[in-house]
Amino acid sequence: MKLSVCIKQVPDVSAPISIKDGTLSQDSDRMVLDAYSASAVEEALVLTEKHGGEVQVVLVGPEKAKETIRKALAMGAASGVHIQVDDISGLDSSAFAEILAAWHKKSEYDAILTGKQSQDTDAGLTGGMLAWSLELPFAANAVGLEFENGSFIVKRQGDSGQEMVELKAPCLITCSNDMNDPRIPSLKGIMQSKRKPVETVTPADLGVDIASLSSDSKTERTGFKEVPGREPGKKFEGEAEEMVSNLMNLLENEAKVL
Amino acid sequence: MSKILVHVATAEGKIKRSSLEVLSYCRKLADDNSLGLEVAVLDIDPARYADTLNNYGPDKIYTIKHPIFNNHLSSPVIDALSALVDKSAPRLVAFASTESTKEVMGALAARHSAAAIPDVASFTINGKTVETERPVMAAKVLSKTSSSSDLVFVSVRSGSYDVAEKPGSAAVEEVAFDFDEGGLKSILKEVISSAGDKVDLSEAEVVVAAGRGIKDEEGRKLIEDLADTLGAAVGASRAVTESGLFPATLQIGQTGKVVSPQLYFAIGISGAIQHVAGMANSKVIVAINKDPDAPIFQYATYGLVGDLFKILPLLTEQIKQVKAD
Ligand SMILES: Cc1cc2nc3c(=O)[nH]c(=O)nc-3n(C[C@H](O)[C@H](O)[C@H](O)COP(=O)(O)OP(=O)(O)OC[C@H]3O[C@@H](n4cnc5c(N)ncnc54)[C@H](O)[C@@H]3O)c2cc1C
Ligand SMILES: Nc1ncnc2c1ncn2[C@@H]1O[C@H](COP(=O)(O)O)[C@@H](O)[C@H]1O
Repeated sequence: MKLSVCIKQVPDVSAPISIKDGTLSQDSDRMVLDAYSASAVEEALVLTEKHGGEVQVVLVGPEKAKETIRKALAMGAASGVHIQVDDISGLDSSAFAEILAAWHKKSEYDAILTGKQSQDTDAGLTGGMLAWSLELPFAANAVGLEFENGSFIVKRQGDSGQEMVELKAPCLITCSNDMNDPRIPSLKGIMQSKRKPVETVTPADLGVDIASLSSDSKTERTGFKEVPGREPGKKFEGEAEEMVSNLMNLLENEAKVL
Repeated sequence: MSKILVHVATAEGKIKRSSLEVLSYCRKLADDNSLGLEVAVLDIDPARYADTLNNYGPDKIYTIKHPIFNNHLSSPVIDALSALVDKSAPRLVAFASTESTKEVMGALAARHSAAAIPDVASFTINGKTVETERPVMAAKVLSKTSSSSDLVFVSVRSGSYDVAEKPGSAAVEEVAFDFDEGGLKSILKEVISSAGDKVDLSEAEVVVAAGRGIKDEEGRKLIEDLADTLGAAVGASRAVTESGLFPATLQIGQTGKVVSPQLYFAIGISGAIQHVAGMANSKVIVAINKDPDAPIFQYATYGLVGDLFKILPLLTEQIKQVKAD
C-alpha cells in the first residue's frame, strides 16, 4: 500500500502573539508540524505497519520547511517530497490544493491523507479541494481508519454521532487529531531520517505558475484584529455553600438565565 | 438581480438554529445591498420546511427531495448543491458551519472555481468584495479575509448572528435530481450514535461542559445530574473525550464543536486556548475550578474557586428547588 500524506508547517500557535498595525507578530518564529497533519502521518504509519507498504509525505513550503519533512521522516515515513515555494504568504488553501493536485497527478497512491484543518488557519478546505481536482472519493474529519479488501473504512465524526464510510481506493481522507496520538520520533528514527530521500521540486516543474497563483488568489488576507474581549467577571472563593448561593442569586437576578 | 443563496441544514425534521441565524442575517445583507435572497434545502421531504423558511423572507425556496440525503454522504450533497448554485447563479453562497458543511465546502468551491472562506465570525458585502473576519491561530486573533471573486462561499460559526423573523411568501421550486447511486464510490455502512448525541450541542441554550477535573464515573454522574436538572446539553473538553468518559461528539473547541449558548458551565476545565476557541461566544460563562489561576477564569462571567465534588451537588439541589417553584 502506498500512502501519500500532505503535511503543513505552521507557526507554533502556543507562542504569545500580538498585533501591530494590523500585522501579526509572534514572540517566537518557531515553526512546527501541523498537529492535524501529524495525526495523518501517524495513522498512515499504523496502516502500513499492519498491511505493508510505505508512507510518503508531501509539503508545499519554503526551504525552512525541510525540518518539518525531516520530523515526519523521523516518525517513520519512508520518503519526502518538498515542493519548494519560498513566499507562501499570498497562497490560500485553494492554491495549496492546486499545487498538491499537480504533484499527485503524476504520482501513484492508494490513498492521500491530509489534516481535517490546519492548526494555524483552521480552514479545512485543502482536502476537499484536492479530492475534487483528482476526482477521488473522500471523507472528512476521520477519527478512525481501517483497510479491508481494497477499500478504506473511515469512521468520521459527524454533526451527531459517527459515520462509518467505505471508500474505494484510490481515495482521500482528512484526519482529526482525535484519531491518535502522534508518536514522538526516537533517537534512532531521527538518525535514520537523515538518510531518507527527499525530492525537491518547484511548482514550475509541475507546470504550476506560482506568480499567477499568488496574484490571482481568490481570497486575500487584509489584516488581523484582536478578538473582542469579554467583560471582566466576578470570582468567588471560600465555602461551597456561600459560593453556590451567590451564584444562584446572580444567575437568577443579574444574568436572568435560570 | 444578483443574489445570495443560503443553504439551510436540517436535522430530524427541523431547520438548524445556526442556519436560521445565517438566513436572518442574509435577509438584512440582501436588503442593504439590493440583492435577491434564495434558499436551498435538501431533504428526504423538504416541502415541510416551506412555512418555517417563509418566516425569514426569502425571495425563492429551492428544494431537492431525495432519500439519499438521509445517508450522510458528501457526494450527493455536493452534486445537489452544485445544481442549485448553477440554477440560482448567486454571487454569495452562505452556510452554517456544521460538520456536514465543512466536509463539502472545499469540493464545492473547487467545482465552481469559487472562493471559499470557512468558519467566519462575521461577513459583509462591500461593493464587489465580500469581507469577513474569522478566528485563526487557535482563535487567538481574527483574520480579515476578503474576496472579490464572482462567486464566494462562506460558512458561519454558530451564534454569530441572531435569529430574526421577517415574514414573506416565497414560492417553492422543486428541482429534479437524478442521482446515480450505482456510481457512488463511497458507501455509508453504519451510523454510530451514543446517548449524548440526543441534544444537539451546537443548538443548545444551556451547556454543561466537563473537563479532566471530573476524574471518573462519579464526576460524570454529577455533570449529568446538573445537565438533566437544567435541561442542558452535555459538552466536554478533549481530556475527557480522549479518556473515553464522554463520546467524541461532545468535544467543544478547535477540533470539536463551536457552541454559543445563553449559559455555559465549564467544570473542571482549565481553559486551554483550543477549548476556549469553541465556547468564548457563550453569553454567560460559569467556571468551577479548584485552581484560582486557571485560565478559564479570564473568560468566566462568574467563577467559583473550589472543589467541584463539593459544589456540584449543592448547585444541582438549588437549581432543582428553583425549577420546582
Ligand atoms: C490542535 C489541537 C486541538 C485541540 N482541540 C481541542 C478541543 O477542540 N477541545 C478541547 O477541549 N481541547 C482541545 N485541545 C486540547 C487542549 O489543549 C487541552 O489539552 C484540553 O482542553 C485540556 O482539557 P481540560 O481542561 O479538561 O484538562 P486540564 O487542562 O488537565 O484541566 C483540568 C482542570 O480541572 C481542575 N480540577 C481538577 N480537579 C478539580 C476538582 N476536584 N474541582 C475543581 N476543579 C478541578 C484543574 O485545576 C484543571 O484546571 C486541542 C489541542 C490541540 C493541540
Ligand atoms: N502547504 C501545504 N503543504 C502540504 N499540505 C498542506 C499544505 N497546506 C495544507 N495542507 C494539508 O491540508 C490540511 C488542511 O489544510 P487547510 O485547508 O489549510 O486547513 C493540512 O492539515 C495539511 O494536511
